[in-house]
Amino acid sequence: MTEDLMVDPEVLREQVRDKYREVAAEPERTFHFHTGRPLAARLGYETAAVDALPDRAVESFAGVGNPFSLRRLMPAERVVDVGSGAGFDSFIAAGQVGPTGQVIGVDMTIEMLEKSRETASGLGSDHVSFVDGFAEELPVDDGWADAVISNGVINLCADKRAVFDEIHRVLKPGGVLQFADIANGRPVPPEALRDIDLWTG
Amino acid sequence: MIEDSGFTDVHIGEAVDTFGGAQGEPQARSFEVYGYAFIARRASE
Repeated sequence: MTEDLMVDPEVLREQVRDKYREVAAEPERTFHFHTGRPLAARLGYETAAVDALPDRAVESFAGVGNPFSLRRLMPAERVVDVGSGAGFDSFIAAGQVGPTGQVIGVDMTIEMLEKSRETASGLGSDHVSFVDGFAEELPVDDGWADAVISNGVINLCADKRAVFDEIHRVLKPGGVLQFADIANGRPVPPEALRDIDLWTG
Repeated sequence: MIEDSGFTDVHIGEAVDTFGGAQGEPQARSFEVYGYAFIARRASE
């Protein structure tokens, strides 16, 4: 753990996995954040695009904003979804880039990966794939992506600079990073930043 | 931090009340936490 990180990255990863295992397996539960179709509506996703997806693709959605609100993806683009969870944003992205595009979702929670892969199989979406990996070590070649999306994930990473460096690596020159995340308007005390329980709620 | 990694043209969207009505709302309110969309571009070489 480098001295400028507020928490141990491995401990944080395990707590995040624990939380999102629950979101994958028991999406009907109440969490400290909204989930599913009500959340997608709250965040301004296009209704038709969400309605076209099966419940399985939407019920475990736990994003914090809309990464498509400032730019719609272009047909045939290659996209990486950092922290793809059960795949909701990846499937929205797949609809925008179309069959000539390609979407790779990367997640570190096995239960989420299994759920997203089963959904992709059921949808026959062969231009969407999901792979195991960390935001700080994306299993994607240098300069592969036209766009990188992410939603509520980078705030859960201990070393945010490493994540942005990694996203920069996988984007081609001129490529676009479009993501959603939380930000606080009031400073969080250092002792709270070191309290790992507060990172995952 | 985004620019430190080599990104340019950074823009931030409107705040979204991500936690309103959720269990986490009191905690979010205490630190004025909202959701935002961000966009940035990797500089062309």
